[in-house]
Amino acid sequence: MNRLMSWRAPVLSLAFFLLLVGVWHALTLPKSAQQTVDSEYAALVGAAAATGQKSAFPAPAEVGAKIVEHLKEPFYDRGPNDKGIGIQLGYSVARVLLGYLLAALVAIPVGFLIGMSPTVYRALDPYIQVLKPISPLAWMPLALFTLKDSSVSAIFVIFICSLWPMLINTAFGVASVRREWLNVARTLEVGSVRTAFRVILPAAAPTIMTGMRISIGIAWLVIVAAEMLVGGTGIGYFVWNEWNNLSITNILTAILAIGVVGMLLDLMLARLTRLVTFPE
Amino acid sequence: MNEPLIRVEGISKKFTGRDGAVTTVFEDLHFSVDPGEFVCLIGHSGCGKTTILNVLSGLEQSSSGYVFVGGREVSGPSLDRAVIFQSHALMPWLTVMGNIAFAVSSRWPEWSREKVREHSQKYIDLVNLTGSEKKRPAELSGGMKQRVGIARALSIQPKMLLMDEPFSALDALTRGVLQEEVLRICAETRQTVFMITHDVDEAILLADKIILMTNGPYAKVAEIVVNTMPRSRTRHDLHKHPHYYRIRNHLIDFLVDRSKAFAGDSASHDPRHPPLVAPGLDPAEAAALPAAGKPLVAVK
Amino acid sequence: MSSFKDPFDARTSLTRGCSCGRHTDEAAHQADLAGQTADSEMLGNRVVEAAVVRALFPHDATRRRFLNAVGASTALAAISTFFPLGAAKEAFAQSGRLEKTSLKVGFIPITCATPIIMSQPMGFYARQGLNVDVVKTAGWAVIRDKTINKEYDAAHMLSPMPLAISLGVGSSPIPYTMPAVENINGQAITLAIKHKDKRDPKSWKGFKFAVPFDYSMHNYLLRYFLAEHGLDPDRDVQIRSVPPPEMVANLRADNIDGFLAPDPVNQRAVYDGVGYIHTLTKDIWAGHPCCAFAASREFVTKLPNTYRALLKAIMEATAFASKPENRKQIAEAIAPANYLNQPVTVVEQVLTGTFADGLGNIRKEPNRIDFDPFPWHSFAIWIMTQMKRWGQLKGNVDYAKVAREVFLATDAMKLMKEVGMKPPATTTKKFSVMGKEFDPAKPEDYIASFAIKRT
Repeated sequence: MNRLMSWRAPVLSLAFFLLLVGVWHALTLPKSAQQTVDSEYAALVGAAAATGQKSAFPAPAEVGAKIVEHLKEPFYDRGPNDKGIGIQLGYSVARVLLGYLLAALVAIPVGFLIGMSPTVYRALDPYIQVLKPISPLAWMPLALFTLKDSSVSAIFVIFICSLWPMLINTAFGVASVRREWLNVARTLEVGSVRTAFRVILPAAAPTIMTGMRISIGIAWLVIVAAEMLVGGTGIGYFVWNEWNNLSITNILTAILAIGVVGMLLDLMLARLTRLVTFPE
Repeated sequence: MNEPLIRVEGISKKFTGRDGAVTTVFEDLHFSVDPGEFVCLIGHSGCGKTTILNVLSGLEQSSSGYVFVGGREVSGPSLDRAVIFQSHALMPWLTVMGNIAFAVSSRWPEWSREKVREHSQKYIDLVNLTGSEKKRPAELSGGMKQRVGIARALSIQPKMLLMDEPFSALDALTRGVLQEEVLRICAETRQTVFMITHDVDEAILLADKIILMTNGPYAKVAEIVVNTMPRSRTRHDLHKHPHYYRIRNHLIDFLVDRSKAFAGDSASHDPRHPPLVAPGLDPAEAAALPAAGKPLVAVK
Repeated sequence: MSSFKDPFDARTSLTRGCSCGRHTDEAAHQADLAGQTADSEMLGNRVVEAAVVRALFPHDATRRRFLNAVGASTALAAISTFFPLGAAKEAFAQSGRLEKTSLKVGFIPITCATPIIMSQPMGFYARQGLNVDVVKTAGWAVIRDKTINKEYDAAHMLSPMPLAISLGVGSSPIPYTMPAVENINGQAITLAIKHKDKRDPKSWKGFKFAVPFDYSMHNYLLRYFLAEHGLDPDRDVQIRSVPPPEMVANLRADNIDGFLAPDPVNQRAVYDGVGYIHTLTKDIWAGHPCCAFAASREFVTKLPNTYRALLKAIMEATAFASKPENRKQIAEAIAPANYLNQPVTVVEQVLTGTFADGLGNIRKEPNRIDFDPFPWHSFAIWIMTQMKRWGQLKGNVDYAKVAREVFLATDAMKLMKEVGMKPPATTTKKFSVMGKEFDPAKPEDYIASFAIKRT
């Protein structure tokens, strides 16, 4: 019975997938149309234009073929502007992780201090509240202007957008460590550094990790947009480059890849969160 | 006479409310705990029992007055006084062993990992938790959690234990078992204990002296009851002793009526020397006692 | 500094270390060689050979495999047959030592950038001993910022941009130079298919147009064209700045009615069946400049030999591209994903001038795009009159001085001669735009002569 139940969700999932692909296929079936121009002219334009239509949205089979093509050779390198989707994703992930880790290096200690001191918390709160809702991409021109380097700017934008959730959650987690655990540490005459690492950090870890999980999600959203702006390398650049070529097939492939990588990053953080979470 | 382990001199606690009004929770408390003695403090909620314990442990400061431990004034928490918290206060991310080892390595930072483990194991065995070393608090029952709390407190070999209603969150059966366990451990280790409770039977079972608090605000020590029952008592034959009901009735009578009314007849009350009473004795027994330095009043 | 190694030795890594193996690094090697003039010529030859081989086989592993398989002398002979190694070595010998051989040049993926792009796959940079990465860039503002930030050594720009940057219009002023125009003509007004009957510009009132950038020939030409047909470009229509790749998509989605855009955007709109080519810009102003090769004044003065070599490569490429018979070959070289990322036929139609117009006709306009590197000062002056006409530039301008400082016509003349092109004798000329003569000596009178203007 249970085994049967456990199969239901995947089967339903598959059914949804087939339905989606089916509808998509039906909607993108080529319209039967006569070629309206002479063949010399038809050779110069796309298939759709030759029949007096606009170029159509790609069918699922085309996208599938393109995905297979990318999966077959994900790491090719044909010059600075044409690299495999695997390499592009690698660039994006590397940028995200770099900016993200830098943000963690700043946010966690600072969040700790803020969380420990209600006065500092209240003093910095207005700044955090104003800076937090700023769209990361709004920082881009400022970053380009001051940092004078586009890849550093992209990393800065990741940094700045990953910062806030981690900072706020760390501060909150630290501030809401149970009084009694701190009291235990005090009655055991535990020094403040040891208290910070052995009591406050593990107690606040689940909250901090939640912040880190929110941050990685935002960072991944932002890197694609940032790379579309600055170009050069990365999956965002790949999307932009294929947009430039009006290749919807490639863009769909990239969208799928972005989703999968984003999910993997989230899963990774979820796994880490589970490691530090304790049942009460 | 020996210097008491703890001497409390005229402590009081005042809180300033949001409207600026000052509330005095308790004031002018005087009492002492001798080495090896088990003292319980009983009072209604709101008389500042937990605050008193926190002041003794050094976690909180009193508004006035002094607490001396071994002749030295208390200025903050110390490894000399281990606290067993009402909510057990175990760190949920550590195992049973981890929780105790954390305390042990705080007490003796120079110890090797192996030595810490060995020492901790001794106390896990003492509270009958052998085999649960690797469990986390979430996997333990309430009673087992409190055993870990007791083991943690004892493992640092403190001069005294401060217990804040340690069994109040447990069911009656578990509570009984743990009370006997504490009785056994205290007998074995001659541990000095100061315990807060609101359970009269628990106090009679465990305590040598029972401090009775009047109701707050302005709570005071009303009197100190000497438990005249022999120390080798168990839960089973406790009620068979002739002193039992007299002491019990006296305590219940106090909690029900007198704790409220006490504020009225404070004229004759000297907070520095609260009356020391022994309700368990009948008048004849009381008269037979040698006249000690302190007044010992037998109540009918 | 691996340029001095024997590139035909399979054991040599072209990426690092000393060439003879006797020195710890190339600097020591060179110090040793100083004075050995007999050797230095051979050395120069090596540099050229290395650059060519490196351009052909960017990966050491591939190169080794190739050399091991065929042998070094065979390889040298084979390469010489289709690549004029002799000429390249000679060209190198004329110039001084290059201060920097690895360069980054930014480009926007449009056919205007043809000389900059094709120089890479077709080896024009390598012939000058340069190892150039041409980097595709997302937009004009980005290319400007990256060049200002020195991420790029030089870049493909719209010819008004170096003027705007130098004048501080739209950014803080930074001395900028434009040593070469890349292409002339090559743009077009494209309208959505649904407007195929509105051929008369007078019926375009209320249209939404896109141009690639505010400081572009596209913007000025479109405004000029509309104004000549009696439409006020600020009041009667809307003109917005849209990155070229988004133009076709916006046209398709009916967000805009048309655009004056660089190719391959126009041809791509036809290819995808969403638009038709209304007017080629050569019919607005025959021989107008469009995009440019630009570099900061700092690059020009600090790395003069590198600058010269780079410019020479561009000049040669431009000369090569100006010959119609080479256009097909160029189209194939620059269409792949690494460069324009467009179907070859689209690029080919743009470059050859035999193209589908989107209305079912095949048109033959060999001058649709042409390549002429000479940065006429009069072009700069015309651009500045339009900046002033449309309110981008305020106050008095010393037109001739700015033109002289930004459009480096003298350098271009010298180098054009070296690569066998015939430079003009003067740096200014009169020309006419839509039949109206422009005299570069009287820019203010020219502005005053327009009925529609923002001054």
